[in-house]
Amino acid sequence: MDTSTSQKWDSAVRGYDLMNGVGPERRWAPWKRRLFSGMDGKVLFMAVGTGQDIQFFPPGRDITAIDISEKMLERARPRAAAYDGRLELRHLDVHDLDYPEATFDQVFTSCTFCSVPDPVNGLRVLRRVLKPGGTIGMFEHTGSRCFPFNLMLNLMTPLTRCLGPELNRDTPANVRQAGYIDVRVEPVYLDVVKVIHAVAPA
Amino acid sequence: MERRLYFLVGDLLSNVGVGALVGLVVVSLVAETWPPVLGMVAGMLVGDLVALPAAVALSVPFGAMEIMLPVMTTGMVSGMAVGMLAAMGVVQTGQSAAVGAIAGLLVLAATYGLNAHLRARV
Repeated sequence: MDTSTSQKWDSAVRGYDLMNGVGPERRWAPWKRRLFSGMDGKVLFMAVGTGQDIQFFPPGRDITAIDISEKMLERARPRAAAYDGRLELRHLDVHDLDYPEATFDQVFTSCTFCSVPDPVNGLRVLRRVLKPGGTIGMFEHTGSRCFPFNLMLNLMTPLTRCLGPELNRDTPANVRQAGYIDVRVEPVYLDVVKVIHAVAPA
Repeated sequence: MERRLYFLVGDLLSNVGVGALVGLVVVSLVAETWPPVLGMVAGMLVGDLVALPAAVALSVPFGAMEIMLPVMTTGMVSGMAVGMLAAMGVVQTGQSAAVGAIAGLLVLAATYGLNAHLRARV
């Protein structure tokens, strides 16, 4: 377990729902609901946080949701208990996933790979636990290629890194580097907020 | 394009409001004796310093990147415009707020247009 990252997110739990629960979640609700509507089979949801995304999960699914922060998971438990389906919460670091190879049919993430310290390695671990041909669906914010947004995101990243996320990552490139195929990117807002679909090779 | 009234109004008020606020702050700092280029650069820096905390606060009710990026750009553009005009001695306090508000409106329109363009390419 990466204790420094775990502690960083433990300490972020207090203001997390306030900062993200109203504006961002309401704004992104239609896209998240659409992405998660494709959940099927045995699903791994990475970095469930305080469980704000559980409201967008379709009912009746078999989902394992992990997070590196125990305090975030404490907040997520009532939301998980209210889910109409099978939803197991586990305190796990993506780098230490203890599932056998090819366990899951699908992996989903939501604003996660801005914060994973070693994103390419984390994506490789997820690829290992995905069945061959299994899919990953990601709702992520990334850096931008458009001026002046790229300048702003680059300038803000040293500050935001202390709190959690990096704002200038190229997550689609990381997905390709981690060995996924059929990588498809769907913009949600500018070239910054996006949905990424990819497939674990057979 | 965003079609929900709550977010449309939030985007509009955030950019126009921050633009006007930046205009008022910058016009109070930049003197007519300054070279216009210096006023523009100082206005840009002050504009972003004012816009950053405003963008963080406004992102709570209205959304994260959809507020942060245009509002920060509004701070930069309105600060540059008002800083240059203030150094040239052609804007007073009330006018600076109007110039900043118009800059915010133009930035918002530009980001909406760019967003529609990028989404249409896929």
